[in-house]
Amino acid sequence: MIEQFKEWEKNRHEYAKEWKERTGGKVMGYFCTYVPEEILYAAGILPVRILGSHEPQDVTEPHIFAMFCPFCRDCLAQGLKGRYDYLNGIIIAQSCLHIRQTFWSWEKHVGVEYSKFFIMPHKIQSKDAAEFLRGEMEDLKKEIEEWTGQEITQEALENAIAVYNKNRELMRQLYELRKEPNPPISGEEAMEITMAQQMVDKAEHNKALEELLAKLPSRTDRPSGTRLMIVGSEDDDLTFLNMVEKCGGLFVIDDHCTGSRYFWNQVIPEEDALMALSKRYINRPPCPTKDWEERKRIPHVLKLAKEWDVAGAIIMQQKFCDPHELDFVAIKKALEDNGVPTLFLEFDVTVPIGQFRIRAEAFLEMIGEEDLF
Amino acid sequence: MEGAEDKYPTEPLKCWNKSKELRLKYYQDYVEAHDKGGLRWGGGAWTFDAVPAGLGDDVYPITSEPYGATLAFDKELSLECMEASEVKGYPRDLCSYMRNYWGSIIIDKFAFGYKDGEFMPRFAGAEPLPFPKPDFLWQDHICCSHAKWYQVVSELEGGIPTFSVDNAVGPAHEINDRKIKFVVEQLKEGIGFLEKTTGRDYNDELLYKAIRNHFVSTSKWAEICELNKAIPAPLDEKSIYSLYVFGTLQKAGQQVADFYEKDLLPEIQDRVKRGIAAVPNECFRVMSDTQPPWSFLKVFRYLEKFGCVSVGSLYTFALIGQWEVKEDGSWGPKTIPDVEFTSREQALYEYVKYELHKPEWQHFYSCHLKSDMMVRIAKEWKLDGAMLHYNRGCEGLSVGIAENRLALLDAGFPVMAFEGNNADEREFDEARTKAKIDAFMETLGAK
Amino acid sequence: MITMGIDMGAKTIKVVILKDNEIVAKSIVVAGFEVEKMAKEVIEKAMSEAGVTRGDITKVVSTGAGDKQAPFYDETKSVVGCDSLGAAYIHPAVRCVIDVGAEEGRGMRCDETGKILDFEVNEKCAAGAGAFTEAMSRALEVPLEELGALSLKATEDVPMNAQCTVFAESEVVTMVHNNVPKENMAKAVHDAMASRITSMVRKIGFEKDVVLIGGVAKNVGFVSSLNADLELEVIVPEDPEFVGALGAALAAAGWKGGA
Repeated sequence: MIEQFKEWEKNRHEYAKEWKERTGGKVMGYFCTYVPEEILYAAGILPVRILGSHEPQDVTEPHIFAMFCPFCRDCLAQGLKGRYDYLNGIIIAQSCLHIRQTFWSWEKHVGVEYSKFFIMPHKIQSKDAAEFLRGEMEDLKKEIEEWTGQEITQEALENAIAVYNKNRELMRQLYELRKEPNPPISGEEAMEITMAQQMVDKAEHNKALEELLAKLPSRTDRPSGTRLMIVGSEDDDLTFLNMVEKCGGLFVIDDHCTGSRYFWNQVIPEEDALMALSKRYINRPPCPTKDWEERKRIPHVLKLAKEWDVAGAIIMQQKFCDPHELDFVAIKKALEDNGVPTLFLEFDVTVPIGQFRIRAEAFLEMIGEEDLF
Repeated sequence: MEGAEDKYPTEPLKCWNKSKELRLKYYQDYVEAHDKGGLRWGGGAWTFDAVPAGLGDDVYPITSEPYGATLAFDKELSLECMEASEVKGYPRDLCSYMRNYWGSIIIDKFAFGYKDGEFMPRFAGAEPLPFPKPDFLWQDHICCSHAKWYQVVSELEGGIPTFSVDNAVGPAHEINDRKIKFVVEQLKEGIGFLEKTTGRDYNDELLYKAIRNHFVSTSKWAEICELNKAIPAPLDEKSIYSLYVFGTLQKAGQQVADFYEKDLLPEIQDRVKRGIAAVPNECFRVMSDTQPPWSFLKVFRYLEKFGCVSVGSLYTFALIGQWEVKEDGSWGPKTIPDVEFTSREQALYEYVKYELHKPEWQHFYSCHLKSDMMVRIAKEWKLDGAMLHYNRGCEGLSVGIAENRLALLDAGFPVMAFEGNNADEREFDEARTKAKIDAFMETLGAK
Repeated sequence: MITMGIDMGAKTIKVVILKDNEIVAKSIVVAGFEVEKMAKEVIEKAMSEAGVTRGDITKVVSTGAGDKQAPFYDETKSVVGCDSLGAAYIHPAVRCVIDVGAEEGRGMRCDETGKILDFEVNEKCAAGAGAFTEAMSRALEVPLEELGALSLKATEDVPMNAQCTVFAESEVVTMVHNNVPKENMAKAVHDAMASRITSMVRKIGFEKDVVLIGGVAKNVGFVSSLNADLELEVIVPEDPEFVGALGAALAAAGWKGGA
């Protein structure tokens, strides 16, 4: 059913290299989903999200102090090992402190033609944030134009926005199907699709998504299990999702930057395309680094839990992830106050599956029993 | 191990007692603000504290990081605070100042109190007061923990009006009108928040005065640190820790500007002129980085037995101090802007433009900018090496530290990295650190 | 000239006596709880082996975690300093020394005289020290001394996330449930530990020759994993656990490289 997406995810590097050869375009690695990819796409660049490989490694110790999250080290290891040697550039949007270290060490020790630390404002709740971000985007656009030697036309930008919007719309349709009592897709499968989404040309992803959406309603071998939500930081741990779903759980919704946060809201077109783009990034479901003074993630997460009718939530985070550590206490309380039991887990590069299975099984048993009373 | 022999005269600092009194008065003023009809507020050491100053002369802050450090110094109370935060579910690897601060609210014990009517720290024998709740919170945000810190404080206190300003608009060399204005607009909106929250009318003249104080405090502090280029160094870092703190308490305060300009600066100038050393057997000069493990400052005394003096750090020089590259290419105090303040907008603009150059804000955009400054310090302050505190208690200042280490090594400076925690003493291993120092001193050639 | 080096390690105490820079006696004992008593005994043993008395010894240098607990000494010297001195004596071409002891792993770069240029200590993490293999041998129910040989028989690499011993133990439990053969698990343990040590050594940077010392150097499984990780052959001296004590005795003699 999802072979194409899986193929893209498993062979991400081959895909990018092949794309480069086929189109003659540049490939840009990005470290955070606040990067306004539309501007890159409009310039004929393929943006690819840099993710880890979930293998133990020993090359990052000289570069990143061990108190920072395993994800940022896993990503850097990919660069140091030369797995992304086809990148023409790298870009990061200002978000957490951890991942920016990957960017800095990459810039210096892996080396690329072009690197950009994009100033994404933190106070997205400020009335002036969209205007400010619009200006930063305008500067980025100019820089990219200088780098590629080609103007990014209004038409190209609008087209990029349209392709990205289409992708978001299709992803939302896919997630809508997960509301069904018997969703046609498992959490692990959905994760394969969201991961592939960050690695391939959106136009191709759109095409594959449309085909998938046409087939799904008639799918008969549907997964089943206790409806779960997964909330937290960056998460592409397929092994973990697979384990929980084998134990009788079924993930129907997520709040991850590798998942729903990435595609949730659309660009609402207006005459000033950059302003429209800016507002989209300001108004998307926030990363915890930007969720202040008011906690807006909480109502969003509660809404997801309610609409997708979950029996419980797994709150996960990358070990040492300060931003999520500053959120999960409040989120856990909010979910529990609203009748959604939670299980909290800290993820490392590889997760101790045995230990986590015991907890997942106990959690599923616990929330299963509630129905008896 | 035999100690290195004394080579220079030394004497204690004359303004030492005054500095202690100033510090105590700061906390006492905060505690007693309500008794006199005044206001009190909470915010970080980097917050734009000149802005609330416009609410009146009876408005007193408590800054979070120095208070967290004060708690750390009181080991017993700190442990109680840490454990209270942990019970509430907050992980141990979060900012340790923040966990101390939250804990102090949760257990409702302040690090100060009265004994026989006299205000003093709890560890000096006072019965601790309940945590004096701030009337409002006024914070900045460049480190991921900053605004979130006060989000939690407000929640723990059952809701305190909070305003946080995003000052992470880019490195000094990329500052432009748009970036400055984004911060200025937030400050203007913040003034509206302050007026609404406190019911007071805002006084721009007081704002202007506070911004001037800010310029003086931050520039004069840099001038004081610059004097430590001298051999022998007139100040050692352990003393610097007790002095830089005023900039973190209330850099826009008159008392702080005055103390730096009128007391400390002349005294250090005089020490340099007379060749007075902080450490009389000075043979080796090093710098540190990030906050020290506060309950183990004796590590710095341990260095002295090898004739090693830590002359400072980018942290102590430039957490608050403002610097610029002078004509001869060397680092010196930032020139105080020669401008008349004519309007709120214009004053805030000058304030923000000046402040966005803060050296300790630059590594949030690139650790390489910090590496360059550290190498500069190592050269201009004539150092033999560096001891970098890989500080598990502060992600904001430890970010990129491993790359800083590599850059210093590349520039030819030996580096000793040691792990610890600024405010959670459970994460500092004194014996191991001393063993590391022994080995490091051997590499520097100390006997 | 007769000198003595005492290495007051976390788990064992080692003593080396030199006569004109030649080893005339060495002795080792498990420190246990009565550290000072054991230290006295092991020193006595070494002196009787060398046929010398206290009065014959010109200078004594003590090193190790408990250096000041030695019953007598003239000076103390850091472990890393002693390690590199001892390694340079045994193998003058050494430029990097890795010392894996019971509780701590250390790496150092040095010059031909054994002077340290840079060093790193694996702090507060059992996963890069002998204690880790001990814990793992218990978890696998394989005697510690057989663990190394067993891992050489491994048929497949099994990744293991050895950020900490507790997690690693639970990973072993998972492997047991998944019927992973014991030899593959043993290799996973050594690979994980080697990875931890390699990480640390990369931090200081390394060049050949690399000498591996400390008690764990006797574990052939670990050595094999480390060689694979570093992509070179480390040199393991005879009696690798004595190198620190040897360095201390050399320091007492004022040895500075060369013959």
